[in-house]
Amino acid sequence: MSVIVVEQLTKLYGRRIGVRDLNLRVPEGMVFGFLGPNGSGKTTTIRVLVGLLKPTDGSARVFGLDCRRDSHRIKAEVGYLPGDLRLYPWLTLGIALPIFGRIRRRDLVDEGLRLADEFELDPTVRVRSMSRGMRQKLGLILALAHQPRLLILDEPTSSLDPLMQEKLYRHLRTIASAGRSVFFSSHTLSEVEQLCDRVAILRNGKLVADESLDELRSRAKRAVTIRWRDDARLETLQVPKFLDVFDKQGKQWQASLTGSARDLVQWTAGQPIDDMTIEQPDLARVFHRYYE
Amino acid sequence: MNRGLIAKTIREIWLVTLLFALGIFTFEALIAYMLPLFDQDILDYWAKMPFLNGMFQALFGTEIGETIGPGMIATTAWVHPIVLIMVWAHGIICCTRVPAGEVDRGTIDVLLGLPVSRTRVYVCESLVWLTSGLVILAAGLAGNLLGNRVATSETQGATGHLLIVLVNLYGLYVAVGAMAFFVSCWSDRRGRAVGVAFAIVLAGYVLNFLAQFWQPARSISFLSFQHYYRPLLIIREGAWPTSDILVLATVSVVFWLAGAIVFNRRDICTV
Repeated sequence: MSVIVVEQLTKLYGRRIGVRDLNLRVPEGMVFGFLGPNGSGKTTTIRVLVGLLKPTDGSARVFGLDCRRDSHRIKAEVGYLPGDLRLYPWLTLGIALPIFGRIRRRDLVDEGLRLADEFELDPTVRVRSMSRGMRQKLGLILALAHQPRLLILDEPTSSLDPLMQEKLYRHLRTIASAGRSVFFSSHTLSEVEQLCDRVAILRNGKLVADESLDELRSRAKRAVTIRWRDDARLETLQVPKFLDVFDKQGKQWQASLTGSARDLVQWTAGQPIDDMTIEQPDLARVFHRYYE
Repeated sequence: MNRGLIAKTIREIWLVTLLFALGIFTFEALIAYMLPLFDQDILDYWAKMPFLNGMFQALFGTEIGETIGPGMIATTAWVHPIVLIMVWAHGIICCTRVPAGEVDRGTIDVLLGLPVSRTRVYVCESLVWLTSGLVILAAGLAGNLLGNRVATSETQGATGHLLIVLVNLYGLYVAVGAMAFFVSCWSDRRGRAVGVAFAIVLAGYVLNFLAQFWQPARSISFLSFQHYYRPLLIIREGAWPTSDILVLATVSVVFWLAGAIVFNRRDICTV
């Protein structure tokens, strides 16, 4: 089942394109990465999903409900963290939990304080005295405290230190493994690679890719380094098609593997090699290809 | 109604309401105490001067005759520009908070990220605003009664008449606030919304003032909120200004509903 279904979504700001003809399905129970450079339309899409923007054309549905018309019903089961988080200056976590709990009509205090402990946030500090990172933690706790079915996070790790980022990743993986869903916008490739099961990539308001990380990895080239024992035979050596050699320096070759590692290992088994290294698939190159 | 939204709104406006309530209480107490101290001859002399007579008429919203009686003195406490500015300012401050204020400071993303409809946010804001308006006027009434009691003057209007004036003033407060809500619903900047709302009220006040001297202004003075607030007639005659209150109520409902429609339909952009 898809928790988010976006069909032919177009949002125009006057003549400027926010997103155009976007189609997207986010399956339940996974961390879905939403990637794209600045201005590619990620935040516009998210703002349509949470009912802040009205689509110019097309539709966006969450849990099968219309994002605009049924926005308040959808948000009962959604935790949302805006990209540019601003909070009331007088707010502390201790004040926010009862107020937000009354608005959500459920008790958030226990879970909120447990999360505060996990993310190391003092519940008595007012927003006006908080650093950006502390405000981000407060926003995250308020998005997580009601244990939503779907989390929509717009660049949530900005201004978090690496330790907190790692804690957040762990928390999000736990959420996904419990069958809940995370829609995670980012422009940091490494965190998407580390965290997400599937990614959609936007560029200039258009969807340019929507694939699982495994599919992307299988298509990504791997860097291969081969050191030959003897360079006498190298001149006559037949290089297979799945190996794209781009640098030969004496006995050492640098190449890109476009086929499977199994084919390479079988081929090299009969060759006089001294050593061989096959690196992890280079997803950054794949992403960059979509970005450019 | 949502208790959480109400609690959040109260948290945001209690201080400004308290300050305005204290301000209006103090001013009403002082003016109710001090006005009777003016010499009656001086007041009558002022009333006979054509320009001042026109100004008084503009202020009181009706013909004042050639003498300034106790009713007029009692009325002054409720038409004084400082009182009116405090009442308008409180209404405009409260009614430009949502959505213009929330969009301006970027907090609306968090507010509308909660499971509440925009209509519910608008209604809860309005309820707190309407209640805080009652607090402000009650503080003014308390100050006025206290000032009169200390002065032990004969200028005090009948309390029943005074309550009718307050109802009329509350109608004015609600109309100004509803107009401010409407302006706020179109705006992304609170400063701009406050400026536009205040300019509209001030323009109406000036129009009502000019209407006493200038025929073209008189013909369009019905556009001014102030045109429907004439406390001297109430204090003199004790009659309910039914038509004025109805006009103010109608204007309020129209502005408030139009604001709600605009707020529900508009895009919210904070970036």
